[in-house]
Amino acid sequence: MRLLRRRSVLVSLVATGMVAIAACGGGSPKTSPSQSSNALTVWVDSVRLPAAQAYAKEHPTMHVNIVTFDGDGNGATTLQTKIQLWNRTGNGWPDVIFSEQANDPVWMAQKPFEFAAPVKGLVPDNLLSQWPAPSTAQCTINGTQYCVQDNLAQVVLWVNKKLMTQFGYSVPTTWQQWAALGAKVATEHPGYIVGNVGDSFSHWIYLWGNQCPLEQLQGDKLLINSTDAHCTRVAQLLDPMVQNGSVPPLSVFTPDFARKYGGAKDKVLLMPGPSWYAQALFDQTLHIPAGQITAAAPLQWENETPVTTGQVGGGPWIISKHSKNLKGAADFVTYATTVFNPTGKDARAGYPAYGPLADAWLKGLGSNPYFAADPAPALKAAAGQVWTGWNLVSYPDQPVWSNTVVTKLVAGKSLSSLLQPLGDGLAQAAQASGYTVVRQ
Amino acid sequence: MLMKAPARWGVRARITGMRGPRAHGLLFVLPYLPFLLVFGILPMFYALYLAVTTDGGGMAGLGNFTRTFRDYRFVPAFEHILLYTGVWLASLIVLVVGLALLLHGRASRVTSTFRFLFYIPGALAGASAVLVWLFMLDPSVSPGSLLLRASGAHLFVESIAPARLPFVFAMIAFWTGAGGWIVVLYGALNTIPQDLEEAARIDGAGPVTIALRLKLPLIRKWVAYMAILSVATGTQLFIEPQLVNEASLGLVPDTWSSNQLAYQLAFRYGDFNGAAAVSVDLIAIGLVAAVLIVKRTGLFRTED
Repeated sequence: MRLLRRRSVLVSLVATGMVAIAACGGGSPKTSPSQSSNALTVWVDSVRLPAAQAYAKEHPTMHVNIVTFDGDGNGATTLQTKIQLWNRTGNGWPDVIFSEQANDPVWMAQKPFEFAAPVKGLVPDNLLSQWPAPSTAQCTINGTQYCVQDNLAQVVLWVNKKLMTQFGYSVPTTWQQWAALGAKVATEHPGYIVGNVGDSFSHWIYLWGNQCPLEQLQGDKLLINSTDAHCTRVAQLLDPMVQNGSVPPLSVFTPDFARKYGGAKDKVLLMPGPSWYAQALFDQTLHIPAGQITAAAPLQWENETPVTTGQVGGGPWIISKHSKNLKGAADFVTYATTVFNPTGKDARAGYPAYGPLADAWLKGLGSNPYFAADPAPALKAAAGQVWTGWNLVSYPDQPVWSNTVVTKLVAGKSLSSLLQPLGDGLAQAAQASGYTVVRQ
Repeated sequence: MLMKAPARWGVRARITGMRGPRAHGLLFVLPYLPFLLVFGILPMFYALYLAVTTDGGGMAGLGNFTRTFRDYRFVPAFEHILLYTGVWLASLIVLVVGLALLLHGRASRVTSTFRFLFYIPGALAGASAVLVWLFMLDPSVSPGSLLLRASGAHLFVESIAPARLPFVFAMIAFWTGAGGWIVVLYGALNTIPQDLEEAARIDGAGPVTIALRLKLPLIRKWVAYMAILSVATGTQLFIEPQLVNEASLGLVPDTWSSNQLAYQLAFRYGDFNGAAAVSVDLIAIGLVAAVLIVKRTGLFRTED
């Protein structure tokens, strides 16, 4: 085989005189010692762009090169592709990356990517200690912290106060009350909805929050038990609601959804969803007028305590271990997570993960005229309630949920009947990524 | 002619006949050769090399092939593309040949209009065609929403339900590719001498008989050529499912086609050797199909 390779190289050299065969060499990527420099390349999504621009403006001596990319699930594939290629060529890595995918640092910290640098020693300890514990835990892979979260994406119950008052309903506090209200809405006000289950992340809202063990690291094994009672009881609660139309199996970001429930129709009565729904969904996507929306505390399962909730997003900042300007990279990340906090119309869309910044941000939220009532108390309470029994893994679980569950829900199957295939699909994805899976 | 000419002349004629055109031919091909080598042949050998070696460079034998074959996404991906290629190829051959034959039987004014109409969708190729089709498949904005609703799809997610996908992709590929092939086959039909057709007509053959018994056998090679190229492009489907995957926010798996699986293996898992093995599987399918078609149709037989 070596002979064949050499010959093919020779042929190409003779034929073209070009030496573009670097790809043939399978050597390990070159790493250069970190040294201070005045250049900084950062990759951000469009939402984080203002933070990067503000940093560049405040640091005129630093040459900041900002690259925007699709930070969502597609972006994860983009990043994996790019990092693989940078690793193969041995250069080209950016200094800092922001990803919308909370699980990205997990694969970035491990083979074959090995991109992330440990943040301890780069970001000052007295700052690092002010991230909430569950947030730090999500950035810690095999005992080392590899990222800091930009924002928390805790799930709360979003409420259309105007509609609730108009219909004479009181805001539910338990999942059971919520389901009962769904049934009532279906008969009294058909067409109105109390949630949705068709997003690629709906399992993070309903299953994560209700402690369904779909991604639980136990030592070196991964527990995926989709038929645990914590999962089946949620499915049984949701199935009649999907059927009666009060929780449609549609994605909130599809034109169909906006047309049926958004804007002038204004048919979203309640919606369990993450902290960033206020701006990104209700205001900018569904165009629900100001003075209607507010947040209530996450729903509780009967009277079980402690109350736990899910998480949708919570994007991390990752510093490249290949950076030649680690100091600058750390300074940038510190600025983006602990300093950058504009007020008014330019306010950050997501709940800041860094504690002191969150308090300042919540104050601004209280005076925001978009909300019918101050959502801050509910958001603050939920921030510490994200269930820690759901560990982040190196593979994306959203495609599995979408392929095995959402497409079938649309076709009329029940969620209860799809939990087994969901677990099977997740187990296959986990095994393909090298996890040892336990199913019970 | 050979019988009349002296043997000496025959030999000489053959030698010059080989030298002249071959040298000229080489001159024409030369600018293309480096590109063929660097971007065609070399990557193929590189893929072969990767497919039989391990990450560290050691020999893997057929290990990569058996390992990727056992991957849970392998069989579904190949099922998808084989079903898709089957549907697409059948519709392409039947409809393109049928439409070309129909066109060729018409008066020339009508023909040129239709030829243009058939070609128009093909002007929109590749990724842009898929983007247009994403709108065509969304019942809330599609001009063909009536048809979509009649087929039971009231929402975009229903239009791209898993069972429909091979047919949806086949439809996209047909509309973007068929026009060009109709024009090619129409050109092929034009090479059929007029007197052959007239002779057939005098013998009492109707338009259907002429089309099926006379024209069709004469353009057989063009149809074979179309089939070979289509099998290759069909089995290597990538951009359509990739874009639909992104547009549907992940409802369609990102390993729907085998080419996508190879891409994911290479870039999500860093498994370039496994990816190469899947690519080699695809080359093999294309080659086997091409050999079969060439044998069955006598594509390269010069005396017909």
